Amino acid sequence: MLTASDASAWESAPAQVREEYFDAHRAFERAVAGRGTTVVGAALADADTATTLRHGPAGGLTVTDGPFVELAEQIGGFYLVDLPDLDAAVAAAALLPASYAVEIRPVIEIEGYEPA
Amino acid sequence: MTPDEALSAVVREEWGRLVSLLLAQFRRLDLVEDALGDAVEAAARTWPRDGTPDRPAAWLMTAARRRVLDRLRAEAMAARKEPLLLVDAHGTGPAAMADPGDLVGDDVLRLVLMCCHPALAPDVASALALRLVVGVPTADIARLFLVPEPTMAARLTRGKRKIVTAGIPFGVPDASALPERLEVVAQVAYLAFTAGYAPGTGPDLLRADLSGEAVRLVRVTLALRPGEPVLQALLALLLLQHSRRDARVGGDGRLVLLPDQDRSRWQHDEVAEALDLLERMPATGLSAQTASYRLQAVVAAEHATAATASDTRWDRICAHYAALVALNPSPAVRLAAAVAVAERDGPEAGLLALADLDDALPHSHRLPAVRGELFARAGEPAAAVEALDIAITRCRNDVEREHLTRRRAELAGSRE
Repeated sequence: MLTASDASAWESAPAQVREEYFDAHRAFERAVAGRGTTVVGAALADADTATTLRHGPAGGLTVTDGPFVELAEQIGGFYLVDLPDLDAAVAAAALLPASYAVEIRPVIEIEGYEPA
Repeated sequence: MTPDEALSAVVREEWGRLVSLLLAQFRRLDLVEDALGDAVEAAARTWPRDGTPDRPAAWLMTAARRRVLDRLRAEAMAARKEPLLLVDAHGTGPAAMADPGDLVGDDVLRLVLMCCHPALAPDVASALALRLVVGVPTADIARLFLVPEPTMAARLTRGKRKIVTAGIPFGVPDASALPERLEVVAQVAYLAFTAGYAPGTGPDLLRADLSGEAVRLVRVTLALRPGEPVLQALLALLLLQHSRRDARVGGDGRLVLLPDQDRSRWQHDEVAEALDLLERMPATGLSAQTASYRLQAVVAAEHATAATASDTRWDRICAHYAALVALNPSPAVRLAAAVAVAERDGPEAGLLALADLDDALPHSHRLPAVRGELFARAGEPAAAVEALDIAITRCRNDVEREHLTRRRAELAGSRE
């Protein structure tokens, strides 16, 4: 699950609002634990600290300051969870802070790939 | 019944049940539909030689189940040969069902709810339910949605991939999530009904069994959620349309238009049930979708309660259509509204109302068919023949095309 939100809202949030965010995340984690497991989760530093790397068409490497795309909403964090189905994922994601947009994407196995 | 006929009958009538039984057992949509397709192919090969089995659906089920098991065994072998490949522990295992099965006892409805999941785009959901639940051929679904067949095939593939990959459950949603899912189910049932009521392709003018299946789906859902306006309005609409099934085809297999139908052959018990549903449901405070179904049902009720065709209250029907166009100005609604206007105000008014529909309905045979009929009534047989020629070229239903061809011959004859 990728969470997207307006980073500046968090910066200016008073302590009480931040506590509500923490509560929401804990509610989410408890809901996931009830039906499955949280493999990993992390908050990401602001998108203005991002570094983006691209290989040019001629083979040159470009490293630029900033995220893939400049948007008001940026990926602010992610959870890798193991849940039985999409309905369980939606029910858990609904508990995250209301200011988040949450993108749910399945994790897949790439056929033929063997880890090093 | 020849083996071929028996096979197409069982495919048409039992497809959804077979898909849902296989899904309940294996939870593998990616395997189930292919396996069922293989089973149908095998039946097409062997039934003409060995004779139709006593229980054709059970035969298909057994053949499909064997194919799924073969595939699962092959997957397990591959997994053993490549120990480094991660095998998803609950990908093939007997995953716990999201619902215990006592809330909704109908496997087909469980399948419908999976196909109608909000994580699927509505057009994808409707197409999937028609294909998987009602077994409508991809070509006919494409026609319902007014898109080319390859586009529809790609849409179905995308939908199935989403269900499998995203983990859309084969089950009944939480009671709190059920109401919002019912509107999508209603859309699906409505489209399924239309596939039977007016098949886009093939030899049949209507496939009453298919329409009946859609009616059954709405009934089952309404029984689960009694008093749900969207289901009440939809059931009323479908019953009113369905009640005319026996009168729409003449003894010679020809199309019989509404004004010429023998009204004693309408199913008046179904009409009465629909009128009762309309009376008991609210007329205001409805969602746009519910209001649209209700208005269409009210139009159908005007026809159903007119003693003869000439008693039809076209003034009231025009008023209902005006409300419907305001709510949903789709090309199909505007075409129907234009027909009502022609009946009330004459063919010239109808032709005027059709004037700007061509861009929106470039493949429809109904638009030129209606136009041809109105030109004929307006005393312009040459223009009528020209319009009917377009309609005949576009029409892919055999009975309807035969009707249009006969009508064209009459008009061409009257010019001489």
